[in-house]
Amino acid sequence: MGSLTISNVTKTFGSTEVLKGINIDIADGEFLILVGPSGCGKSTLMNTIAGLEEVTTGQLLLAGEDVTERSPKDRDIAMVFQSYALYPTMNVARNISFGLEMRGVPKAERDQRVQEVSTLLQINHLLDRKPSQLSGGQRQRVAMGRALARSPRVYLFDEPLSNLDAKLRVEMRTEIKKLHKRLGTTIVYVTHDQIEAMTLADRIAVMKDGVVQQLGTPNEIYDNPANQFVAGFMGSPPMNFVPCEVNSDGSLAIDTSGHSLSLMIPQSSTLKAQNIHRVILGLRPEMLTEPKPERVGDSVMALEMDFDVTEPMGADTIAIGEWNGIEILARLSPEAGLRAGKKTPVQVDLSKVILFEPESGERIR
Amino acid sequence: MGNTSMSVGRYAIYACLVIFAVLYLMPLYVMITTSLKDIEEIRQGNLLALPAAPTLYAWAKAWGSACTGSECEGLAPFFFNSIRIVVPAVLISTLIGALNGYVLAKWRFRGSEFLFAALLFGCFIPFQVILLPMARLLATFGLANTVTGLVLVHVIYGVAFTTLFFRNFYVSVPTELVKAAQLDGANFFQIFRHIFLPISLPIFTVTIIWQFTQIWNDFLFGVVYSGQGTQPITVALNNLVNTSVGGKEYNVDMAAALIAALPTLVVYVLAGKYFVRGLTAGAVKG
Repeated sequence: MGSLTISNVTKTFGSTEVLKGINIDIADGEFLILVGPSGCGKSTLMNTIAGLEEVTTGQLLLAGEDVTERSPKDRDIAMVFQSYALYPTMNVARNISFGLEMRGVPKAERDQRVQEVSTLLQINHLLDRKPSQLSGGQRQRVAMGRALARSPRVYLFDEPLSNLDAKLRVEMRTEIKKLHKRLGTTIVYVTHDQIEAMTLADRIAVMKDGVVQQLGTPNEIYDNPANQFVAGFMGSPPMNFVPCEVNSDGSLAIDTSGHSLSLMIPQSSTLKAQNIHRVILGLRPEMLTEPKPERVGDSVMALEMDFDVTEPMGADTIAIGEWNGIEILARLSPEAGLRAGKKTPVQVDLSKVILFEPESGERIR
Repeated sequence: MGNTSMSVGRYAIYACLVIFAVLYLMPLYVMITTSLKDIEEIRQGNLLALPAAPTLYAWAKAWGSACTGSECEGLAPFFFNSIRIVVPAVLISTLIGALNGYVLAKWRFRGSEFLFAALLFGCFIPFQVILLPMARLLATFGLANTVTGLVLVHVIYGVAFTTLFFRNFYVSVPTELVKAAQLDGANFFQIFRHIFLPISLPIFTVTIIWQFTQIWNDFLFGVVYSGQGTQPITVALNNLVNTSVGGKEYNVDMAAALIAALPTLVVYVLAGKYFVRGLTAGAVKG
């Protein structure tokens, strides 16, 4: 069993506090992803879980046992590194079996395990090669094989795909997901790529400045971000943030291409009741589209906009217009009949808009 | 036009190189030819002439029967003294340097940088400064005038250099290899043995050549800390050249000097290309 409890973990280097009290409960078999910008402490958290760095205060429980003081080898955790960290002088088979060898597993059993793992990862034909004779994708597989060989209770992945080219990254992403389905072992996975996070995770922990900003399922994080940082970090293209004045009836004042709009949104009554005058409107690009008759409803509003720039992406086209002097991205169908400098009819779906405090970036609910 | 000026420049460079090569090789040429001549031919004064009747008489005498002070057994016993000093001193100082470098590069601890700086300082201490304190220390340990004592002195003095070499080599090895091996369950020495030693051939070559040359060529420690019967070959060579029975035998002196220099020459010829390669060896690509 591989449940993992991170309880009040802090870590300071000199006078810098890198982790400021992290609390995460990871269920057995869960795929948890740590995301955040560089320097947010996600890799440090990973290293403390592995035991490569000691926590300053706090506790780590693995399957209910306190492992805070244990050395890395006694934690039954395996890790896949960003640089793969394959042993350069050993061939692939020995790279995979080295952990077993160090633990005194007999040769016959090691060989059998190497066969199993290499079959699973389709690297049988590479067993005699040295790491320097492998391509990036093959090294990645060997690094995973090394982690798999020991059948640990928890796998740690530290940005494992960031050294691969785009196509291979998508392939390996799918493969990691399949592997997790098949093994059902707990995985903690660090990345700064929010698409990896969305596609792989059971739950995502978004970190910034050594604090977990939000912990939730990909959908919770995407649809219901806790604050403006999380909202802006997850999603590609990113969420639009438009500073708005609140009218006396609770609607939002928007000025686009020279004419004014009043947006009545689901939160309008709250704004009016709480007497809030300024907000930041959060609107995902896919909520601003060409008119779609099938989606007309109370919270859908038609308007016309000028778009200065369009970026065709194939499946859809990202168009850049302007609200209240701020660039705003719309996600349109390629058939929407866009022409630069000409008014284009669009519709905005306000059912999922999110509001933030202008100063703190906190959610207004 | 550009081509001709280019080739003129080329010729000038080659001419320059050839002149310097000849200049530097001249003494070696004179030594070899003189060692193969007999003393009559040398007295005629044709320094640059090839030997008229080459003979190994001088080499045989220098090796087996030339007088070094009061004894006349040639350089042979001292040659083996040097071997007995150099081999353990090189091996021990290189192994200690490898371990030190491994610790200072990959197992940083509080004060490890200071320790490294202090060790580096050891590279800059002139030999003469430590002569007296070291003599006192060897006397205290009862190692004065012994081969063991000389080995100890060379090990202590060499560790500063060997540590520097290995530390700088191991710094370029990715630390993630250590982390991966730790998670794989390897301990401090297992990581050293299975991960670090196998990639260390270039730096071992550099260090061994460096230490071999330094210790083989050492004269000062050899003359100060050795006694009758434990003198290294450099000291014996000095005694041989300064001992004259009758006239000065230049051919024997030259042969003796060549015998004393031969091991370092051989090491360079055999391992020289690894030396250059090792000095420039960079990061280990995984």
